[in-house]
Amino acid sequence: MSVENVVVGVSNLPNQRYKIVSNQGGIFTLMVCGESGLGKTTFINTLFQTTLKHADPQQRRNQPIKRTVEIDVLRAILEEKNFSLRVNVIDTPGFGDNVNNNKSWQTIVDFIDEQHDSYMRQEQQPFRDTKFDLRVHAVLYFIRPTGHGLKPLDIETMKRISTRANLIPVIAKSDTLTAKELQDFKLRIRQVVEAQEIRIFTPPLDESESPDPAVMEHARQLIESMPFAIIGSETKFDNGQGTMVPARKYPWGIVEVENDAHCDFRKLRSLLLRTNLLDLVLSTEELHYEAYRKLRLEGSGASEDQSLPARAPARKLSHNPQFKEEENALKKYFTDQVKAEEQRFRQWEQNIVNERIRLNSDLEEVQAKVKKMEEQVRSLQLKKH
Amino acid sequence: MQTESTVEDLKSTHVVENGYPAANGGVKLEDSSVIEDSPAQLNGNGMAEANLEPEQDQEQEHKGQVLPKQPDLKVLQHRISGYVGFANLPKQWHRKSIRRGFSLNLLCVGQAALGKSTLINTLFNKELYDLTTPATEDLAALKLEDASQGLSDGTESIQQEQQDHAISEGKSGVAAVKINTLSTKIEENGVSLTLNVIDAPGFGDAIDNTDAWKPIVREIDSRFDQYLDAENRLERSAIQDNRVHACLYFIEPTGHSLSALDLEFCKAVHHKCNLIPVIAKSDILTDEEIEIFKLTITSQLEKEGIELFEPPQYALDDKETAARSSELHAKMPFAIVGSTNVVSTADGRHVRGRSYPWGVIEVDNESHSDFVYLRDLLIKVYLMELREKTETVLYEKYRSEKLNFLNIKQDNSVFKEYDPELKQKEEKQLHEAKLAKLEAEMKAVFQQKVNEKEKKLQKSEAELFARHKEMKDKLTKQLKALEDKKHQLEMSLANQSANSPAQAKKKGFLR
Repeated sequence: MSVENVVVGVSNLPNQRYKIVSNQGGIFTLMVCGESGLGKTTFINTLFQTTLKHADPQQRRNQPIKRTVEIDVLRAILEEKNFSLRVNVIDTPGFGDNVNNNKSWQTIVDFIDEQHDSYMRQEQQPFRDTKFDLRVHAVLYFIRPTGHGLKPLDIETMKRISTRANLIPVIAKSDTLTAKELQDFKLRIRQVVEAQEIRIFTPPLDESESPDPAVMEHARQLIESMPFAIIGSETKFDNGQGTMVPARKYPWGIVEVENDAHCDFRKLRSLLLRTNLLDLVLSTEELHYEAYRKLRLEGSGASEDQSLPARAPARKLSHNPQFKEEENALKKYFTDQVKAEEQRFRQWEQNIVNERIRLNSDLEEVQAKVKKMEEQVRSLQLKKH
Repeated sequence: MQTESTVEDLKSTHVVENGYPAANGGVKLEDSSVIEDSPAQLNGNGMAEANLEPEQDQEQEHKGQVLPKQPDLKVLQHRISGYVGFANLPKQWHRKSIRRGFSLNLLCVGQAALGKSTLINTLFNKELYDLTTPATEDLAALKLEDASQGLSDGTESIQQEQQDHAISEGKSGVAAVKINTLSTKIEENGVSLTLNVIDAPGFGDAIDNTDAWKPIVREIDSRFDQYLDAENRLERSAIQDNRVHACLYFIEPTGHSLSALDLEFCKAVHHKCNLIPVIAKSDILTDEEIEIFKLTITSQLEKEGIELFEPPQYALDDKETAARSSELHAKMPFAIVGSTNVVSTADGRHVRGRSYPWGVIEVDNESHSDFVYLRDLLIKVYLMELREKTETVLYEKYRSEKLNFLNIKQDNSVFKEYDPELKQKEEKQLHEAKLAKLEAEMKAVFQQKVNEKEKKLQKSEAELFARHKEMKDKLTKQLKALEDKKHQLEMSLANQSANSPAQAKKKGFLR
């Protein structure tokens, strides 16, 4: 006896979700990773159309290259059309700047793990109304536009990142490559990425019963353009039609940031913010975080009682190379001391041996005397009889 | 130095906690104090500390989340004028939510024959319950059944209650409340909702309704427990949310007041689920009677401190939305009429309603009953808010209490903003402590080994000397004895030779 024209209200549920999210705002943690001088800071400022970070060449470039990789966190609350997004930009200044970059990915990997770890510990508490979440939703890996290929450091680092977070490789400063060079470079990178089995974040292709062809097409385009070739600029120039656009000006022409014919900036922005921000966030929470949590809790004897929250195992110690060095120095100091003492004891033992020899000979002397005396006595006794 | 900093920690926790008022509602993680620059914040902190100190003890008594001192962090704030695109996030959620689908677990409680099944069918415009066979017939049969069967899935509760329950079941003529769940899928314009209606037939139908609400409370708890278990598992990609998102409580349209059973039930569940009371079959009451009845009910509930679900209001809401939200709240408890029958009105329209000789009461007409308000609250406007509140407030409350009961200790130190500098300092401290420990350990072992070796050597040295001395003494004694003997012999020989020269000669021969 149903009446067809009655609206139950189920079709309004997505709008309710929309409203809740609009009011709650969002959170997005983006990590930029790559050698210095690849325009990471400029890119961030271009992406958010705001000077979030000051590229201060004086301060940064004059520093002697000695620092180990460290972490820099930039926090901002950005508001666009009444929607507020909490943006965290994680930078790793100094990554790959040393002569020996062995293990310089460790800081990056440690940071990602540590944020998962921290969230896991917070989530386990009986009271957890407020949680601090700095889980990395996307890692932009800046590749130097050499035109040749990926360096071993790139490969090793990307491999490790891709098992922990959404990895998006980008070709930095791509205006140094011609269209042909860029095409070849992209192809080569894609081949390496495939051969090395590095997992790159790709927008999910709609697999529902009624896929939206426009969405599908857009996702396909994004996937085909990877790795994105980008340029960044905070300066605006006339694009020749009277509009001021962010661009780089050369004597032979201007390179427009938001021109699909010039670079893939727009595609990357779409992937990061406009169409796939939610996918990045959800895959971080549902795949990467869950994988980390499972790995850490497995085998820690946590699942004995299902009704209790699993307890996290002890925190991992940091991989600071300096600490390791200090520890080794300490150990060496003791080893040396032990050696010195051992030497002393050997000497001592030798002394004892020598002393024993001396004393033995002393005894022998006396014994000889005794023998002699015995003999004399015996002869006297014989004489007597 | 160390004690100083801990004292400071304790003090500032309050400041920080008060900086997160919204977080308790689970809505937003914004901290105004963090945004300020550090000098201003120091001032602010100092002031707040002075004001808050008297409350400190009180605060510390009830355990809960007390945030540790947070590092001074700079948070930029910026309004973007251009089009960056993250404002699309709600739209992305919109699309994603359609693809993932929706679900609602609705608990319906009320005595028999109050039109529960009819209302559900009317609300969702679907024949969920077969209305041709009256539920009451079933119920008669039901009372003869073994009550424990129907209750078997609600066992995960505190022991005390289970005992109580066993006692109540032992008596005859006591309510045999059963829990039934019905599931269906409702689709509207490509949006699908999985609806689970949890029904408690037998509630309030017995002569003695003592503890009749307990099986229902147990059901709500067990659904929370089930979720808690799932949340603690290693593998949790497929968590099913069976928690009760809303509870419709059907009030008999007596026009007088709530019964003791009504109040007991409401008291037992209002902190566990979103309670939405409805006056059933309200078409037997006139508008004035309904008005008075509602007032009585509201004041009764208020007196007992029973909280009903209140639609949230947001700063971004327009006036219309805010007004509608207030209106919805003001209309509670909803006086409703349910009917899936299509009847013809005097002016020739075909509507869902009930036809009386004196007129037609239209279900979908706001001026005839509160049905439309109920539907708006339950489905069209606030279904997601019901879920949000269940998730962030009610479930969290249950979880906190349960874990507390299980003696799980809260570790507030994990709630800390990440600060690279602080982190580095902490790591350095940790490292130094580790190094110091290592050094001490190695030193101790080293010292011990050295001492042992020294003692051993000293001992063997001493032993050597002692043995030497002993042997030398022995030999010396021997020598001395021999010397004496020799001397004696010589003496006696000398005497002999004096007496007998032959003997002296003999001696010369031997030499």
